[in-house]
Amino acid sequence: MSDIHTLSGAYALDAVDDIERVAFARHLEECPACVREVAELTATAARLVDAVTAVPPAWLRERVLDEIGRTRQIGPLIRRPAHAVPATRRWRRAAVAVAAAVVLVAAGGGALAQEQRVRDAQRQAAQAAEIEAVLTAPDAMVQAAPGPDGLGRVTLVTSRARDEAVAAFGGLESPGVDRTYQLWTQRGDQSTDKGKLGTGVTSGTVLVAGVRTEQKFAVTREPAGGSTAPTEVPPVSLKLD
Amino acid sequence: MTSPRPRVRPDAAEPPGLDDLLRRVARGDEDAFAVLYDRIAPRVYGLALRVIRDPAQAEEVAQEALVDVWRTAGRYDPARGSAISWVLTIAHRRAVDRVRSEQATADRTRRAAVTEVAFDEVVEEATARFEQQQVRRCLGNLTELQREAVDLAYYHGYSYREVAELLGAALPTVKTRMRDALIRLRDCLGVSFG
Repeated sequence: MSDIHTLSGAYALDAVDDIERVAFARHLEECPACVREVAELTATAARLVDAVTAVPPAWLRERVLDEIGRTRQIGPLIRRPAHAVPATRRWRRAAVAVAAAVVLVAAGGGALAQEQRVRDAQRQAAQAAEIEAVLTAPDAMVQAAPGPDGLGRVTLVTSRARDEAVAAFGGLESPGVDRTYQLWTQRGDQSTDKGKLGTGVTSGTVLVAGVRTEQKFAVTREPAGGSTAPTEVPPVSLKLD
Repeated sequence: MTSPRPRVRPDAAEPPGLDDLLRRVARGDEDAFAVLYDRIAPRVYGLALRVIRDPAQAEEVAQEALVDVWRTAGRYDPARGSAISWVLTIAHRRAVDRVRSEQATADRTRRAAVTEVAFDEVVEEATARFEQQQVRRCLGNLTELQREAVDLAYYHGYSYREVAELLGAALPTVKTRMRDALIRLRDCLGVSFG
């Protein structure tokens, strides 16, 4: 507990990755003293903005006021009282928080809502719902491993019943210039491409379909655009069966 | 929640009423939002501009953050912090997501190397306004490592792992320095709760 507690400063400065943010938020649910400390440190970080205020262009006001007229609001969060909850439920709740964060990111397009962006947002929202379904599945199983060279973390939540998994990446080292992390499932010497994080991207959440009959989940560093088969011994590998 | 309702020391930068405005916004009051906008937009935009640096992208991120404030106003919980820190948490998260998703680590590391003077710029930009002077004075009270850690994390959007890499310091050291720095700033700025 004391280890996660030292994260309060980094958390208040937003200097954590998605997984650490969820882990710390979960810690906060059980530590009222920490809630107070984090509230104070966050308010302190907010004061740093005093030194960098800048007047936005006037058109931004019109654009924002116009957009809120077209934006539906979400309701208040009903918090359950803070008391001990079984570990499985705690994970479930953290998982929902991850999913909610994903939804928030996915739903937040700009006012310059070009068709493409709207379509992207809809696709992302649909994917976020899928991700949430995996994270909250009754048979969800969680595994984690350090990233390549021990930097960052790869977390895999698998639901065999749904035949899907969610892979979350945070704080990985750079895959290299013009390279990307690529995801695979493996059975025997057969590797199946399960998507890429994107060139130079070191964190993110990916939905992986078709895991039930696979033996391993692996991550490799590949040239931008990806490869048809892994070109290195996977630095990250987790068992699926 | 059992934690006491936080009270941030009143000062010129935060006129009373942001909480009330936010409550009205949560009920769909667009006029209240317009008033809120005028109060918070310079800080939201200034923060986005500081972290992202490119004005066009900062405008976009500021817009997204401000619309988020409208959309999620019902989620604001006064027991967990002041209205302005809730707003700026949203804005900072948005700005950080933008820089972290758009630039390969290598790029950003290179960029950091040529923008080492950023903290001095921040100090330069601070005008004669009291709060700004106060922030500047309090930042000046930190140790060099504490100040650099806060600068790289908050004004540049780096994760503590990246900060450790950039400063050549151990991870636990950086985590501790960030916490120590904020505690020292908190005491210096007189941010008090309860």
